[in-house]
Amino acid sequence: MKFEKEDLVKLYRNLVRTRAFDEAAVRWLAQGKLLAFYHPAQGGEAPGVGGCTFLRDDDIVYPHLRGHGLPHMIGKGISPKLYLAEHCGKATGAAGGMGGFHSVFPEKGALGAGGTIGSCFPVSVGWALAAKKNGRGQVVVCFFGDGSANRGTWHEAANMAALWKLPVVWVCENNGVAQFVPIEDAYPLEDLSNLASAFGMPAVVVDGQDVMAVAEAVTAAVERAREGKGPSFVECKTARFGPHGIGNPDKVHGKDRDPRQIEELKRRDPVALFRSRLLEQGVLTEEDAERISREAEAEVAETEAFIDQSPFPDDPGMLDRALYAE
Amino acid sequence: MRELMYLQAINEALAEELERDEKVFLIGEGVQTGTFGTTTGLVDRFGPERIMDSPLSETAIAGVAVGASMLGYRPVADLMFADFMYVCADEIFLKAAQWRFMHGGLQTLPCVFMANIGAYRKLGNEHSQCPFSLVLRSPGLKLAAPSDPYDAKGLLKTAIRDNNPVVYFFHKGLLGMSGPVPEEDYTIPFGQAVVRREGDDVTVVAPSFMGFWAIAAAEELKDRFSVEVIDPRTLEPLDLDTILVSVRKTGHLVILDEDTERCGFAAELAMQVMEKAFDDLDAPIKRVCAANYPIPGGVMEKYVIPQPEQVMAAIEEVMA
Ligand SMILES: Cc1ncc(C[n+]2csc(CCOP(=O)(O)OP(=O)(O)O)c2C)c(N)n1
Repeated sequence: MKFEKEDLVKLYRNLVRTRAFDEAAVRWLAQGKLLAFYHPAQGGEAPGVGGCTFLRDDDIVYPHLRGHGLPHMIGKGISPKLYLAEHCGKATGAAGGMGGFHSVFPEKGALGAGGTIGSCFPVSVGWALAAKKNGRGQVVVCFFGDGSANRGTWHEAANMAALWKLPVVWVCENNGVAQFVPIEDAYPLEDLSNLASAFGMPAVVVDGQDVMAVAEAVTAAVERAREGKGPSFVECKTARFGPHGIGNPDKVHGKDRDPRQIEELKRRDPVALFRSRLLEQGVLTEEDAERISREAEAEVAETEAFIDQSPFPDDPGMLDRALYAE
Repeated sequence: MRELMYLQAINEALAEELERDEKVFLIGEGVQTGTFGTTTGLVDRFGPERIMDSPLSETAIAGVAVGASMLGYRPVADLMFADFMYVCADEIFLKAAQWRFMHGGLQTLPCVFMANIGAYRKLGNEHSQCPFSLVLRSPGLKLAAPSDPYDAKGLLKTAIRDNNPVVYFFHKGLLGMSGPVPEEDYTIPFGQAVVRREGDDVTVVAPSFMGFWAIAAAEELKDRFSVEVIDPRTLEPLDLDTILVSVRKTGHLVILDEDTERCGFAAELAMQVMEKAFDDLDAPIKRVCAANYPIPGGVMEKYVIPQPEQVMAAIEEVMA
C-alpha cells in the first residue's frame, strides 16, 4: 500500500491520541474515576494503531488488552469517549454501564472483548467464518500478546482458520513479557510467528515500534484475506514501558525489571519515532505536530468533562434487558 | 499471639509445606512474583524448579497438576482468578475430580487448585466470580474457603496433605485482613465448621467473605435478635451436623452465598436442612446470594452481588 500524506498524518494523529487517552486513563484510575484496573498501552501503541487505522468500518477487530483496546479502537475510528465513559461506569458508556472495561462498538466492528486472555482466537474464527459466508468482503483482525499466544485456544482456532481459508489476520503484539513472565521463559523459539508455520500460514515479523511497518504488513495481510487467500500472521516486536497493570510491581521472576532495559526500550518510543520521521520527511512541521498534540489534549479534556457530567446507571431493569434477547 | 495478614498466612502455609515435603511444588503464571502476594518470595527459598513460573496456559497448568499428582508429587496449581477455571474445566472437573473414580480407585491425585474469588471490585464477569457451585457439583473435588488468616493457613496445609484434589478459594476482600496465626505447625481438619458467634434466635451460615457481613449484621441486630454465625470453612466435605445442632436450637436459618443463587450452595444446604430438620424450623429458610445474572462491570454489580442490607433484611424476615 502506498501511503498518502493524509494517511501518514492520520496514523500519527491516532498514535498521539492513543498516548494522550492512555495517560488520561492512568490519571483517572488514580483519581478513582476509572473503575476496576488499567493496563497501560505505553510503548505498545503501534501494533493496534497501525493495524487498525486503514481497515474498513465493517472489518472486525478483536482488541488486545493493552490500553484495554484504546489503540485498536482509536485506530478503527471509534471515539474513545463512549468507551472510557463505560470504563468509568457511566450510564452514557457504550454498554450503558454494564460492561466496565469490556469494549463494544458493533457499528464499527468492535463486537466485544473478554477478560480471559486467549479467548480472542476461537471467537475470531466464528467472525471470520460468518464474514466468509456473507460474502461482503469483511476481514477479521485479531490482536493478542505473546502471553495470549501460549493458550491452547490458539492452536484450535489457527487450524480451523487455515483449513477453511478464513479471512482473518492474526496480529501478535510481542512485547517480550506476559505480566511477570518474560517470553524467553514461556516459548522456546525466538519468534512467535513460528506458530503460523504449523498451519501453513504465511507470517512476517515487523518492527512493532514502527507504526508504518505495522500498517504496511497488516494491510498486505488484510488484502490477502479479502481476496479469499486465507489467514496470515503478523508478529510485531513491541515494548511495555511500565508495569503490567497500574499498581503491579514491574517484576519478572520476582525481581525488578532491569531499569537499563526499560531505558533502552523507551529510546524507541513509537510516538517519538514516527514524529521524527514525519518531521524529517517534511510530512509534518513542528507546528503541525504541536497542533495535533493540542487537539488530542482538547479531546481528552472534552471526554473528561463528558464523563464527569454523566450519571451512573441506576436502573436494575437493565439487567433483564441485557440478559436475554426477545 | 502473633498476627499475620491473610495473604501472608497463605504464603507461610505454602512455605512450610514446601519445606516439609519435597514432593510439593507450585506452578502458575507469575507465581515467582505473585499477583496477590500469596506466593511472593517463595522462589528465593525454594528455587525456580519448585516455584514454577509457567506460560499463560491454564489448561496445561491444571493438566500438569493432575498428571504430576498421579506420579506421587503434590502440585499446587495457582490459577490466579477462580473465573479462569472455565479455561481448564476439563482438567479440573473431568480429570482431577473423576479419574480416581473412573479407574476404580487405583490412583490418588493429591493436587491443589488455588484461586481467588469474590466481587466488590467492579471487575466484571470474568474476574469476580465465586464459583462454589461449579466445584460442588463435581463429586471428587474438595472445596476449602477460608475466611480468616488462621483458617487460610490451616486449611491450605490440610489441602496440600490431602490425598485428593482440593480446590482452595481465597477471597480478594480478605487478602489484607490481619489475625492471629500460631507459629507452630497446625492444620485444620476438613469438614469441621466453626461457630463464629453464638446465638439463640437465628442461625446464619456464611462461608468465606460473607462471614464478615454475618458478624456485622449480628452485631447491628444484637438488641433484637441473638444471631448465631457459622462458617463451614470447607463446603465439601460439609459439616452439616454443626449446622443442624444450631438450627435445632434456633429454629431459624439464613444462608449467605456470594455465588449465583440458582443451583447454588445455599439451595443445596437449604434442601439438606429441610430433609434433616424440617420439623425444627419455625420459619422458611432464607438465602442471600448473587442474583441470577452474570456479574456486570462497574457500579451495576451492586444490583447483582449480595449487599449487607440484604443480610439484615433476611434475618429480620426470617424472624418476623
Ligand atoms: C485466561 C487468563 N489467564 C490469565 C489472565 C491474567 N492476565 C491478564 S493479562 C496477562 C498477561 C498477558 O500477556 P500478553 O498476552 O503477552 O499481553 P501483554 O500484557 O504483555 O501485552 C495475564 C497473565 C487472564 N486475564 N486470563
